[in-house]
Amino acid sequence: MYQITVDPARCQGHARCLTFAPDVFEFDDEGYSFVPDENSRYAQLTEGVRLAVANCPERAILVKDDQRT
Amino acid sequence: MADNLTAGRDFDFHGHALDNIFDTYKELRNRCPVSRSEEHGGFWFLVKSEDIFAAEQSPDTFSVTPSMLLPPFGTDVPLIPIDIDPPEHAHYRRVLLPLFTPQAVAKLDEGMHRTARELATEVAAHDVVDVSARFARPMPTIIFSRLAGFPEADWPKFDRWVDDIIYERTIDPERAWKAGQEVMDYFDALLKARAEQQDAGDIISRLLSAEINGRKLTHDELLSYCYLLFVAGLDTTAWAIRSSLWYLAQNPDAQARLREDPDLIPTAAEEFLRTLSPVQAMARTCKKDTEVSGQRIRAGDRVVLVFGAGNRDPDVYEHPDEIVVDRENNRHLAFGGGIHRCLGSNLGRRELVIALEEFLRAVGNFSLDNLSEQWHGVGPLTLRIGR
Repeated sequence: MYQITVDPARCQGHARCLTFAPDVFEFDDEGYSFVPDENSRYAQLTEGVRLAVANCPERAILVKDDQRT
Repeated sequence: MADNLTAGRDFDFHGHALDNIFDTYKELRNRCPVSRSEEHGGFWFLVKSEDIFAAEQSPDTFSVTPSMLLPPFGTDVPLIPIDIDPPEHAHYRRVLLPLFTPQAVAKLDEGMHRTARELATEVAAHDVVDVSARFARPMPTIIFSRLAGFPEADWPKFDRWVDDIIYERTIDPERAWKAGQEVMDYFDALLKARAEQQDAGDIISRLLSAEINGRKLTHDELLSYCYLLFVAGLDTTAWAIRSSLWYLAQNPDAQARLREDPDLIPTAAEEFLRTLSPVQAMARTCKKDTEVSGQRIRAGDRVVLVFGAGNRDPDVYEHPDEIVVDRENNRHLAFGGGIHRCLGSNLGRRELVIALEEFLRAVGNFSLDNLSEQWHGVGPLTLRIGR
C-alpha cells in the first residue's frame, strides 16, 4: 500500500495538487493542503498523484510504500 | 578575474534588459550559477533552480529586508507581508491567507468569466486592436479592484500609477516616487473614508477588522498592505495574460490546439507562466556569510533570485527554452516559493486560465500586427483579428 501525506512544514499553499488529484487533497481555511486519513492509502499510485508530486513547487507531498519499509 | 565576476557585470532584469534576457540566461548559466552584477548598487544573482529553491527555504539566511524589490517600488515603506521576515511575517500573512484559498477564489469564477467574456467580445469586433489596453490590463484591474474594494470611479487612474511605479522606476526613479506618493495619498484617503463604513465584504473591510496578536492594524500597516495589494494585484496578471497572447499570436498551431481542446488551457497556462514569468526576479539580503554553488556571499550582500532563469534550467526541464503547451512535469518558480510564495497565486492562475478560455472562445484567429512588440511588460500588444 502507498501512503500519501503532505508535509505541513513544507506546504505553502500553491494548490497544484488540487489540479491533479482533487479527490485526494483537501485544503484548510488558510489554503494549506492535507490528505484526510480516509484518502491516504492506495494499492496503486494514480497518475493524478504522480503529477501532483511532480508539480508541487515545495516538494511537500510524501509517498511512502508500506511494502518497502 | 574569475568568470562570475565579469560575465554578468551589467546584468539587469528590468526594461530593455528583458528584450533578450532568455539568451542572457543561457549564456550565464553555462558559465556560472552565481554571478555578480554592478547594477542597482551591486548584487549577486542565482540562476539555477536548485539554488533559488534552497534560498527560498532559508529565510533566516536570505532576508527580505529592506525590500524584495530592487530597485524599490516607489516607496521606502516596507511592504506587508513581502518585505517582512519571520517571525512577524506569519502574523501579517495570515490576515490575507483565507481570502486567497482555492475555495475563496472558486467563488469568484462566475464574475471572472463574465468580465473576461465582455472584454473579449469587444476585442472580437475589431480588425486591429491593442489587446493589452483592451483586455489583458482591464480584466485583472476590474476583478481585483472589486475584490479589494477599490472604487470603480478610480480605476482610470490605476494604469498610470502602475506604469510609473513598476516600469518607469529604472528609467525615471523620480517619477516612480511621485506616483508612489500619490498611491499612498490615495489609500490614506480611502482608508479614512472606509473606517466609518460598514463591512463591505471586500479585502479592505477584512483589513480594517483584522487583528494580529490581539490588536487592530495601525493606519501605517493598513497603508502598506493596500500599497502592496495595488502593485501586486494589477500588474502581474496583466503581464501573464498579455505574454500568453503574445505567444499564441505567433503560434497558430498552439492557438488551434487550445481552441480544439480548451481542457488543455490550464496546462498551457503553467507553461506560459514558466517561460514568460511576470516576475523574473526578486531580491534578498544575506543575513550571514554563506556559500551558494561554491560562491562565497557575505552578510549584507544583496542577492537576486532569478526565477525566470531557474524556470529555464536544463537540469530541471527538458528542452527548457521550448514552450510545450502540454508539458506535464512543470514544477516552476513563477510564483516564488517558501514562506513568501505569491499570496495571490490561486487567483492569478484562475484569472489567466479564464482570460485565455474566454479570449479564444470569442476572438477569431489572431496574429501580431506589430512584430517589434516585446514579450514582456504590459505595453501595447497590437493584434490583427481574423474572422
